[in-house]
Amino acid sequence: MSSEILISPHDGATTPVRRPASDAGNRVPRSAYIHVPFCAHRCGYCDFTLVARRDDLVTPYLDALEQDLQTLADPQPVDTLFFGGGTPTHLDPAALRRLIELACGWFPLHDAAEFSVEANPFGLDEEKIAVLADGGVNRVSLGVQSFDLEMLRFLERDHTGDDALHVVDRVRRRIENVSLDLIFGVPGQTRELWQQTLDQAIALAPAHISTYGLTFEKGTTFWSRRLKGTIAPVPDDLERAMYGDAMDRLTAAGFVQYELSNFARPGRECRHNQTYWRQDPYFGHGPGAARYLRGKRSMNHRSVTTWIRRIQAGESPIAEIDELSPEDRAREAIYLGLRQADGVSRRELFERTGFHLDDLAAAAIREHVGAGLLSDDGESLRLTREGRFLADTVSGDFL
Amino acid sequence: MHPRLIRNFSIIAHIDHGKSTLADQLLLKTGAITERQFRDQILDDLDVERERGITVKARTVAIHHEYKGETYELNLIDTPGHVDFAYEVSRSLAACEGALLLVDAFQGVQAQTVANAYSAVNANLTIIPVVNKIDLPVTRIDEVLHEIETVLGLDPDEALRVSAKKGINIDQVLDAIVERIPHPAGQPDDPLRALVFDSKYDTYRGVVTYLRIKEGTVRKGQKIRFMKAGLVHDVLDVGQFRPEPTPCEELGPGQVGYIITGVKELGKVHIGDTVSDPNNPPAEPLPGYKKPQQMVFCGMYPIEATDFEKLREELQKLSLNDSSFSFTPETSDALGFGFRCGFLGLLHMEIIQQRLEKEQNIDLLQTAPNVTYELLLRGDKTMLLDNPQNVPDAGSIEEFREPIAKVNFIVTSDHIGAIMKLCEDRRGVYKTTEFLSPQRAQIVYELPLAEIIYDMHDKLKSVTRGYGTMDYEIIGFREADLVKLDILVKGVRVDALAMIVHRSVAERRGRAICKKLKEEISKHQFEIPLQAAIGGRVIARETISALRKNVTAKCYGGDITRKRKLLQKQKEGKKRLKQFGEVEIPQKAFLSVLEAGNDE
Ligand SMILES: Nc1nc2c(ncn2[C@@H]2O[C@H](COP(=O)(O)OP(=O)(O)OP(=O)(O)O)[C@@H](O)[C@H]2O)c(=O)[nH]1
Ligand code: SF4
Ligand SMILES: [Mg+2]
Repeated sequence: MSSEILISPHDGATTPVRRPASDAGNRVPRSAYIHVPFCAHRCGYCDFTLVARRDDLVTPYLDALEQDLQTLADPQPVDTLFFGGGTPTHLDPAALRRLIELACGWFPLHDAAEFSVEANPFGLDEEKIAVLADGGVNRVSLGVQSFDLEMLRFLERDHTGDDALHVVDRVRRRIENVSLDLIFGVPGQTRELWQQTLDQAIALAPAHISTYGLTFEKGTTFWSRRLKGTIAPVPDDLERAMYGDAMDRLTAAGFVQYELSNFARPGRECRHNQTYWRQDPYFGHGPGAARYLRGKRSMNHRSVTTWIRRIQAGESPIAEIDELSPEDRAREAIYLGLRQADGVSRRELFERTGFHLDDLAAAAIREHVGAGLLSDDGESLRLTREGRFLADTVSGDFL
Repeated sequence: MHPRLIRNFSIIAHIDHGKSTLADQLLLKTGAITERQFRDQILDDLDVERERGITVKARTVAIHHEYKGETYELNLIDTPGHVDFAYEVSRSLAACEGALLLVDAFQGVQAQTVANAYSAVNANLTIIPVVNKIDLPVTRIDEVLHEIETVLGLDPDEALRVSAKKGINIDQVLDAIVERIPHPAGQPDDPLRALVFDSKYDTYRGVVTYLRIKEGTVRKGQKIRFMKAGLVHDVLDVGQFRPEPTPCEELGPGQVGYIITGVKELGKVHIGDTVSDPNNPPAEPLPGYKKPQQMVFCGMYPIEATDFEKLREELQKLSLNDSSFSFTPETSDALGFGFRCGFLGLLHMEIIQQRLEKEQNIDLLQTAPNVTYELLLRGDKTMLLDNPQNVPDAGSIEEFREPIAKVNFIVTSDHIGAIMKLCEDRRGVYKTTEFLSPQRAQIVYELPLAEIIYDMHDKLKSVTRGYGTMDYEIIGFREADLVKLDILVKGVRVDALAMIVHRSVAERRGRAICKKLKEEISKHQFEIPLQAAIGGRVIARETISALRKNVTAKCYGGDITRKRKLLQKQKEGKKRLKQFGEVEIPQKAFLSVLEAGNDE
């Protein structure tokens, strides 16, 4: 922290007074993300950056990634490394091994580091699990989504409930730290069915569970089916009840809801994802990947082929740069803080951004505390249980 | 310059038939502008004109043409084609002896062609018919000539065939102007009479007064009197538009130009006034103009209450340069302090709103437009009503009258049925049908103006697949069974949403508005009942259910930027919300009253 002298922020000025403070963006990044844009096919609700049935692009992708990583100049030791997708485990064992070696070469991990890989049950065989475990992967995030065949079919997933159960076992024989992703609010899904899914997940005793309400994203087949009226989102009240069920059942089973969609056994929070919510800097490589370096967030081109072509041509793969003003950065910190159980600490916000919470958002605080959506103990601001259902309504007012 | 060598003319036509493009060519061919200065529709220099590709304000230019060894001065006025600005056309015509009537070689005679041609005939002008756009790949020149003869009563043999865009036959136009249009009649040493046909405020020079000299001469340095205003001033400067303001020593009979008199306030110079010489006064002033009548009104409220004074200043400024627009302060329970503004039509309204928002940077909340009503009250009093909020108690109204327009449609024969249905549905009274040719007809209806401004133009375009055109003029007020429709949001009457409708459609419209509002008002944390009511009687209702869940599931890496931007955009949009009791109503909802009419 710097020690510059501060003008009183409570002098009645209408614009928030910022005290020059140490800037989150200037810290050394201790996390890295690598996007692996391959899947066997594209699920109807998915708008992620990926190509399906284009395994011919795996080698060009790895070559381009190798070339792109060289721009780092020196290896960058990190505390967390995350392979996201797509389905990183869609790569065949040899390619997967090459990817791991490449990443760990540029982002060396120490013993206590977290190395996560996203995986899908389908095709995750012993051999691939061995490649992961031998390569140092110590956390697997499994796209289980549901144990109900009808739901899985509807979501266009290519595994069955049994596949999911078996694969959890199989993975845990080598990599104990497993997280399960679950989806609720699927058209046709009843509340009982969702509760059953939660209970089945709990019975597997994973270290971590993420629950996501199904959303209809532009450009997906679900989106156009919804426009045509052939599928309809579940009623608001049902979706709300399902989210409530997730919170109730998972916390009752000993999980801590440390972020709106994320539940962990104590100490098993995903440290990599916490980097994002704490506005810590991180590296990002691969198509569509974001990075946050020197206070600037930038996003790579989302087209896999364009990303490859640009790198081959020696051009920057970056398509969009999001450079925040100090005030916007502080506001974003509040937005992200509210997503976490710890909420926003006045002291921490000030130390990190130089802004006082109450200068930025006194009216919003008053309104939402009044409505019972926020709780305020004088030091930290947190969403209440009711507030979590309306998190965007509340946190949007701080932006 | 001797009047014998002067010609004054306006270019008139239906919208988009190429007036401004022809003006470009006339300027170019006569050397008023060089090839290098040339740009399309050079006279359309207002931002709104360039953005929309239409002319809004009439523009005057003096050009010189050599004809049989002599140099003639031609004063041209490019006029707007849109019906909202018809008054600009009639003003321009009063300053001319002739008119070029352009007709698109494919579209042929359209509604404003007819309206403008009649205005020119009524003003006793010599009309030169010009078929424009002969370069188009598909034209109907022979049929168009036939229409010019049968509909407008003009001699098709006199029609010129040109392409303004390609510059074809422009010389013929220039020659015809000299040959056919009579020169102005006045004499240089008659007592001065000059018509004030426009004025403009210039930051450095004060008011610039646009004149057409009828008789006599105005010279730099002399004294003049504005006859109506009764004020005497020195002439500091005299000039012509070529097209840039260009100083000269004097303006004689027939000439068109400007004087600068040191008047600092636009309000002091009246359009239609006569300029005379106090030392040699004329017998009487020139006839002048009828004041344009505002027929469409809406409320304009600053989103930020603190912008109220700024809004007042800007409206003041705008109204000085545009006398066809009016504003008076008003208050609304719902919207606070604002202004009731009067316009010539919807386009005019849009243009003013755009100028305020874009050029002056004031965020506005605008209520749905309505027409002026005339009420006959008990005790034989009449009142004009331009705000539905102010409808007096039903018991005190003897007669509720609405403005009626005579509407002239020009459509192809196969659309006659559709137009008639459209008009019957909107309480139209059929007048006549006249065939322009076996394929095209002119249909005349009398329609309530309110029905026209709601959606007539869009509906016409959709039932005629874009080919039908319409023109209208107000012919008076007529009694009708009108009622005030109130809208209640969560039990609160929102005055700014009230409107006046015909009883026969009240229920339908009430239902449509509630439905529309349901789409426009986003969910709150509680239920919001919406009701439409006449007096105390609810005639339609809807309910917006409570917002129960609003949370982004995934927020990692790049999602953060995307989500933040989305929420920021929503927050920006929230600025346009007004709080009513506990409910936030977006700007768009106020206009939905208008759109709801479209859904019927
Ligand atoms: N092909 C062709 N197009 C033309 C010709 N004259 C004008 N246009 C086009 O017609 C459109 C309208 O031209 P304008 O000159 O703006 O028409 P206007 O009559 O001044 O329109 P308003 O002032 O809005 O009533 C433009 O796109 C012109 O380029 C012509 O002779 N041939
Ligand atoms: S497996 Fe996952 S990343 Fe791949 S298409 Fe399906 S939802 Fe998208
Ligand atoms: Mg024009």
